[in-house]
Amino acid sequence: MSEAPILSVKNLKTHFDVTKGIFSKKQIVKAVDDVSFDVMPNSTFGLVGESGCGKTTLGRTIVKLYNPVAGSITYKGQDIAHLKGQELKKYRKDVQMIFQDPYASLNPRMTVGEIIKEPMDIHNIYNNDQEREERVVELLRIVGLKPDHIRRYPAEFSGGQRQRIGIARALAVDPKFIVCDEPISALDVSIQAQVVNLLEQIQHDLGLSYLFIAHDLNMVKHISDTIGVMYLGHMVESGPANDIYHRPLHPYTAALLSAIPIPDPNTAKAKRRIVLEGEIPSPINPPAGCPFSTRCQKATNRCQTERPEPIQVGTRLVSCHLYEK
Amino acid sequence: MPLLEIKNMVTSFYTEQGDVQAVRGVSLHVDQGEALGIVGESGSGKSQTMYSLIGLLADNGQVKEGQFTFDGEDITPSSFASKREYEDKMRKIRGNTMGMIFQDPMTFLNPVLKIGTQLVEPIMNHNNCTRAEATARALELMNHVGIPSPEKRIEQYPFEFSGGMRQRIVIAIALANSPKLVIADEPTTALDVTIQAQVLELIDELKTNSNSAIIMITHDLGVVAKLCDRIAIMYGGKIVEIGTDKEIFYEPKHPYTTGLLGCIANPEDDEEKVLHPIPGSPPDLLNPPKGCPFVDRCEKAMLVCRDYEPAVTTFSETHQCSCWLLDERAVNYHE
Repeated sequence: MSEAPILSVKNLKTHFDVTKGIFSKKQIVKAVDDVSFDVMPNSTFGLVGESGCGKTTLGRTIVKLYNPVAGSITYKGQDIAHLKGQELKKYRKDVQMIFQDPYASLNPRMTVGEIIKEPMDIHNIYNNDQEREERVVELLRIVGLKPDHIRRYPAEFSGGQRQRIGIARALAVDPKFIVCDEPISALDVSIQAQVVNLLEQIQHDLGLSYLFIAHDLNMVKHISDTIGVMYLGHMVESGPANDIYHRPLHPYTAALLSAIPIPDPNTAKAKRRIVLEGEIPSPINPPAGCPFSTRCQKATNRCQTERPEPIQVGTRLVSCHLYEK
Repeated sequence: MPLLEIKNMVTSFYTEQGDVQAVRGVSLHVDQGEALGIVGESGSGKSQTMYSLIGLLADNGQVKEGQFTFDGEDITPSSFASKREYEDKMRKIRGNTMGMIFQDPMTFLNPVLKIGTQLVEPIMNHNNCTRAEATARALELMNHVGIPSPEKRIEQYPFEFSGGMRQRIVIAIALANSPKLVIADEPTTALDVTIQAQVLELIDELKTNSNSAIIMITHDLGVVAKLCDRIAIMYGGKIVEIGTDKEIFYEPKHPYTTGLLGCIANPEDDEEKVLHPIPGSPPDLLNPPKGCPFVDRCEKAMLVCRDYEPAVTTFSETHQCSCWLLDERAVNYHE
């Protein structure tokens, strides 16, 4: 762990003002609240959580689509909050994003070639059309499409192929870090594996780091080195993927893992689930203490009033009063 | 006699480009009290098989062939004198002896009607009872599916419920008249993992307590592993393999089944498993392949696979598979 992290997030908070009308009481959605984690070079950080836990907001804050209200994001030792001009442009080139819905994230009126060329134009990477065209063909080959696809429109492709186009677009500007926001959840099972293998292959060949956001824990465990579990805007637990999976510390992680349907009839039918009561509280009005205290079976009075701080337990960071000495 | 029997169902949809052959000769049966999982990717025809059965096909869809028997009665559309007669019959069956749970609870529930109205309606339609009796039954059902304070909730509208709660209401409606068969079409796909676990637990309980049969349509092998006794794998409008849960997971015969199992990451495995994706994409059912539907993506495809449909090979009373690799005749053909 002597290596410096490529991306380091400290106490990040992204809030949204959802007040309706000018006279009503101010309402704030704390989508991401006090989240810290590091991503090591050439590794994958998997971010899991249920809908509304803030994982997508966190990803978008990192690519600077949203501005945080507090905390810092450090990329290669540089705080990105105040980047301007050329430096900001450099950051935007280095950090790319792959989106969830391959049907909504590609402009239907642009050809595949135009889609992949656009980021190159914006960042002025190639001097002439010839070089650019060659690079587009090479990218198509890397993601497993054919060179003659270059003049076709997104509508002519299937979901998996479109996701490959999205990946080629992200790779067009030689990024170092890619935020993958649920890149496989819209795809069929047999196609998901194709895309996951492609992402792993590219990571291996080009030395990329990923922030892999998903709710499919099976795939996240497969692809990630480190996993962070989010609940209601908080990172409740983070650490090496295998440790988290085999010995979850936080009660929410344990419940989430026990809820995964295991694709094996003997295990699945024998397995006892920790079935959580109730639903996720509203992020406008979160519980005062631990965010999970309303559904936690081990919650004490202290959990309802006092917010747990992240503490180091072995290889992991966990925010839970149960582990405080 | 099985509760439900489908023989050689063929369904196609008329489009301007030609007929899309969504279901191409599906035969299956479901016994009382058992759970059958139908697994397939989008476009494999798994949902349309069920819509054909319950008479809810889109306007351009038509059941071309087949014979369906449910609960000792013939419910094949072509066996009725008129369309009207068929629809009258199906209206009596749907929501009564056959309950349905759909994928998206928000499009299933009517947003401008109270939950109570939507729950009471199927009870009053199919039973000779007063509104008060029906309401009492509705409250009992809501309690049964785990909705807290049903007396208050029955007066609310669907938008006041969360996704998981809405799906519970849909399940309550499906169970209103103690159906003999419940057809669940991707009932948990729109839900979060922990909510999915709650809903699956509920369906599992119903199976044990009520002795209804369940047909579970899904693309999630984890869900069928948990809930189903038997599993049918569909591909390109056909059932390529059918067997008990253990036969499908532990002794898969069809290359597509093996392929599907190779694509999923099992988190219980400690060893870093390399995923083996199936190359290519599913066939276009506007012009389906002449032979085996999987031929273009199959690593073991032979010449015969392209031209002739594989026959069914039987391994046990429950386990059948359609693949030329398993057919003795094909070995000779190949040589």
